[in-house]
Amino acid sequence: MFKFTLSRLLQAVPVLLVVITVTFFLVRMAPGGPFSDEKAVPPEVLRALEAQYRLDLPLIQQYFSYLGDLARGDFGPSFRYPGRSVNELIEAGLPASAELGLYALLIAIVIGVLAGLIAAMRPNTAQDYIPMSTAMIGICLPSFLLGPLLVLVFGIWLEWLPVSGWGNIPGDKILPSITMGSTYAAYIARLSRGGMLEVLSQDYIRTARAKGLPERVVIVRHALRGGLIPVVAYLGPAFAGLLSGSFVVETIFQIPGLGRFFVQAAFNRDYTMIMGSVVFFALLIVVFNLISDLIAVWIDPRLRNPSRGGR
Amino acid sequence: MSTDAPHTGQLPDDAEQGTSLWADAWARLRKNRLALFGLGVIIFLCVVSLLTPWIAPYGYEQQNLALGATPPSWQHWFGTDIFGRDLLTRVMWGGRMSLMVGFVATGVALVIGVLWGTVAGYAGGRVDAVMMRLVDILYALPFMIFIILLMVVFGRNIILLFLAIGAVEWLTMARIVRGQVQSLRRQEFIEAAHSLGLSRWRIIRKHLIPNSLGPVIVYTTLTIPSVMLLEAFLSFLGLGVQPPESSWGLLINNGVETMEEYPWLLIFPGLALAITLFSLNFLGDGLRDALDPRSSKD
Amino acid sequence: MALLEVTNLKVHFHTRNGVVKAVDGVSFNVEAGQTLGIVGESGSGKSVCCYSLLGLVPQPPGRIEAGTALFDGEDLLRCSRRRLRQLRGNEIAVIFQDPMTCLNPYLTIGEQLIEPLLYHRKTPRKEARQQAVALLDEVGIRQPERRFDSYPHELSGGMRQRVMIAMALIAEPRLIICDEPTTALDVTIQAQILKLIKDLQHKRQVAVIFISHDLAVVSEVADHVLVMQNGRVVEQGEVAELFSNPSEAYTRKLIASIPDGAKSAAPERRELQPHPLVSVSHLRTWFRDHSIGLFSPAAAKAQRHIKALDDVSLRIERHEILGVVGESGSGKSTLGRAILGLAPVTDGRIIYDGRDITNLSARAMKPLRRRMQMIFQDPYASLNPRMTIFETLAEPLLVHGLANRRTVAAQVLALMDDVGLVRTCIRKYPHEFSGGQRQRIAIGRAIATRPEFIVADEPVSALDVTIQAQILDLILDLVARHDLTMMFISHDLGVVRYIADRVLVLHRGQVVEEGDTGKVWAAPQAEYTRELLQAIPRLAHVQP
Repeated sequence: MFKFTLSRLLQAVPVLLVVITVTFFLVRMAPGGPFSDEKAVPPEVLRALEAQYRLDLPLIQQYFSYLGDLARGDFGPSFRYPGRSVNELIEAGLPASAELGLYALLIAIVIGVLAGLIAAMRPNTAQDYIPMSTAMIGICLPSFLLGPLLVLVFGIWLEWLPVSGWGNIPGDKILPSITMGSTYAAYIARLSRGGMLEVLSQDYIRTARAKGLPERVVIVRHALRGGLIPVVAYLGPAFAGLLSGSFVVETIFQIPGLGRFFVQAAFNRDYTMIMGSVVFFALLIVVFNLISDLIAVWIDPRLRNPSRGGR
Repeated sequence: MSTDAPHTGQLPDDAEQGTSLWADAWARLRKNRLALFGLGVIIFLCVVSLLTPWIAPYGYEQQNLALGATPPSWQHWFGTDIFGRDLLTRVMWGGRMSLMVGFVATGVALVIGVLWGTVAGYAGGRVDAVMMRLVDILYALPFMIFIILLMVVFGRNIILLFLAIGAVEWLTMARIVRGQVQSLRRQEFIEAAHSLGLSRWRIIRKHLIPNSLGPVIVYTTLTIPSVMLLEAFLSFLGLGVQPPESSWGLLINNGVETMEEYPWLLIFPGLALAITLFSLNFLGDGLRDALDPRSSKD
Repeated sequence: MALLEVTNLKVHFHTRNGVVKAVDGVSFNVEAGQTLGIVGESGSGKSVCCYSLLGLVPQPPGRIEAGTALFDGEDLLRCSRRRLRQLRGNEIAVIFQDPMTCLNPYLTIGEQLIEPLLYHRKTPRKEARQQAVALLDEVGIRQPERRFDSYPHELSGGMRQRVMIAMALIAEPRLIICDEPTTALDVTIQAQILKLIKDLQHKRQVAVIFISHDLAVVSEVADHVLVMQNGRVVEQGEVAELFSNPSEAYTRKLIASIPDGAKSAAPERRELQPHPLVSVSHLRTWFRDHSIGLFSPAAAKAQRHIKALDDVSLRIERHEILGVVGESGSGKSTLGRAILGLAPVTDGRIIYDGRDITNLSARAMKPLRRRMQMIFQDPYASLNPRMTIFETLAEPLLVHGLANRRTVAAQVLALMDDVGLVRTCIRKYPHEFSGGQRQRIAIGRAIATRPEFIVADEPVSALDVTIQAQILDLILDLVARHDLTMMFISHDLGVVRYIADRVLVLHRGQVVEEGDTGKVWAAPQAEYTRELLQAIPRLAHVQP
């Protein structure tokens, strides 16, 4: 297990390097710089600014000095928020984004897996069609549409829940979490239904039934593990997506999270902030993919020791 | 050499026409009402989009500032926006753009993905390892940020939009095609083709491609909605199509700003997008069931 | 009173294409402590019949239409789901066919083994474990304490079937249903498992229903036999009586279909020439073992080769049928494919008609392809599902320039006549045919180019016994008519004896024995060959 983790982390290094390199040169190649909007800046001030941010050095030198900073865990100073480093900005936005992502993920897993299970128990009956049609609606209503609709209905027409904010008014975390979780819940529902149907048709489920086990035991003990493997594989990318997809929700509900910083950074050509966000998300993707792979290995003993593999 | 279609010659007069797997699949699809409904809606939308310049009830930019925003009425079925422009007309034009992005970007993804996947799957070995490793690396990119970055940095350009979206979606297509080709390559009928001394190209053309087409069609159908969603998402952020061009994402974005006062400006474009995505997804699901060989056994 | 009395059982499947009467009025009794064998070909309803008693038939599409099944006086078809569940695994247990797929890969075998005790008997876990370990020992699993915590993938097929047997026995049921328990196993393992089942049955006095397509196996284990066809009982009776004196035509046909006795055709066709058609010397095919982890030591890596073929030499004379026999993993399929250039050769030489064809390029091989062909095992996988029969059969003719577009139709029709296919189905697709017909198509494709040498890899293993007999006769007929030379690969010794002039026994990639079929059967030289021959189940009780 340790070796597996280690080798996966080693494999991630070139991936991250490619990501960093491509982003770095892409950003620098683009017309316009972080200070080009400020028309009235005297040339000497501009030069001083450029020197401060090392923009006067040759590009390749900037690249390596940035890599050096990164290796020490330093994302560099923000170009647009003078006096603050990218690390500080990420730290400021992370708690809200992480909390939102966590709630959304919880909603997605609980509702998704339950709906998938219920549907898989009696395929092609109403018990299957109703949750699956609902899931389809969840997939077809993107967050930028669902969010405003929820606000319109529950916030403005019914006035049940607050329409924006984060942690200020009780209940203001409900709508954003639902908005963000619903699409993922819908995908998870479809995945777990498919996985469960696949597993329930396996011979070993018939064996379990032939042993006279109660249906509940057959489902929970024998079918669930195998049936949830597609869901587990999906969770890694999903979690990264939850974070990167959050800028819509953060914008709609005015939540001081990471997503908004990052979109702002792109609009502002805040080089270091753009780089910081790309690297940060790439890192998240790598880590969460690894975690979901580790869970898959934990579930499936056949993956634990491949050299002894049976079939 | 033209040995492709040896259907001529004297066959027995009473030869029964067999039903191919495609005919079987079509028969199964026809029994799936939701999928048929989806297909109908898609055809309808395509026709409307093609004819929009001629059948739209009002001019696209035709303003009536005195009228302002009005709820749906007989004159304006979807109501009008704050400039007094007919919303139905704008939804029709927006749909034209959204559908075009959906089809073209999916086409880009389809071409790259199928080529990449077939080559990797058929070559196998080291070539395959390198090619799929690259796909893995691309998978690890935070693509959403990347596209946003591209759009911001290089300006909002519709060609770039196609390329950017296509560049995201081909990855999964490549994986699917490669998996399909790989599993086919181990099938005995491909081995039989080798032992018959068929050329590599003929094996790919006559044996591999026809048999891997099913999942490709299904995935293509399911890619179109996700591409449209992506475009709408970018337009919502103000990064996709830009005015005076329009798309459903842009209309939804505008609708959100005024949803308290004029909810129809959000609801109609939203409905149009949701129904289209619905139809495509149902059609894709239906095709998956219809083309799945396992479902043909009962 | 019998332990189980089934009367007039009817199980129908309601599918989109109409009602399938899977079981149509079946009646039988099982006495306590006795074995009832149920014999039938695929689709005869033998499995459905037994599964429906336990409520294991998926409903819908299945439906039990009529009948009673009294188990110790209690009607299984009418008792509640709850009661049925109490009986399953407790009073009536099942052993399934494929031990590879019937054990849950995510749970240790111990966990699965003790479940009947935990849920039926409420036995404490610790006690259940002790009982399970003792039982594992009894069914012949070494180091049962350790194996208790193993996962299924860590055991071989035979071991897994022993675990399945232990699982069936653990709650001490009164009836065990064995559904083809040895079909997925090699013949030597099959012999061991059959013996185990018989021993345990006598020791514990349980009743057994033994379902199999293999008459010989049933004749060895059963007291009473039921022959089924198309959901109906054709004939039933005491095993000795039924096999020695079958009253129904279908039973006689089944018995006659078992490849029995030596090849009837005299081997005089064989011309011993100085140059054999095929000669293979010191052939090695090693595959790299891809399952090695990234960090395994270099020393281990050097040995990690799967030696599919290890120093194999053989000659195939013109116009003979060489049988190649071996169990799974013996390398027999790889050998056939290597000769045809479809599998890699690590070392050694293959001479075909005086020409070295070892690792020849595809281009250089193409003219030879016309002369050497292959018939594959699985007629469902070996035909392109998207090509009609016409296209499948026309392709080799056109590719090798043996026909043009005008003449091809006539040639294809002649080919279809040759392999016994009805002319009118020329435009149909493979999925519209039965297994036997598909194999005829595959054979037609193989002989289309009028080859002189054919490798047949288990061509009849996937077929029912009556179909198998027809295909074997077709092959013999074609070999005689077209002067073919053949390498016939099979795990089934009866089939090889029936068809081959000479036989080669492979074991773990090496040739163990080679010789004329009659001689090898009469006086096997190698220990392994003797073991193999002894393990073949024989149709007992039949008076010649």
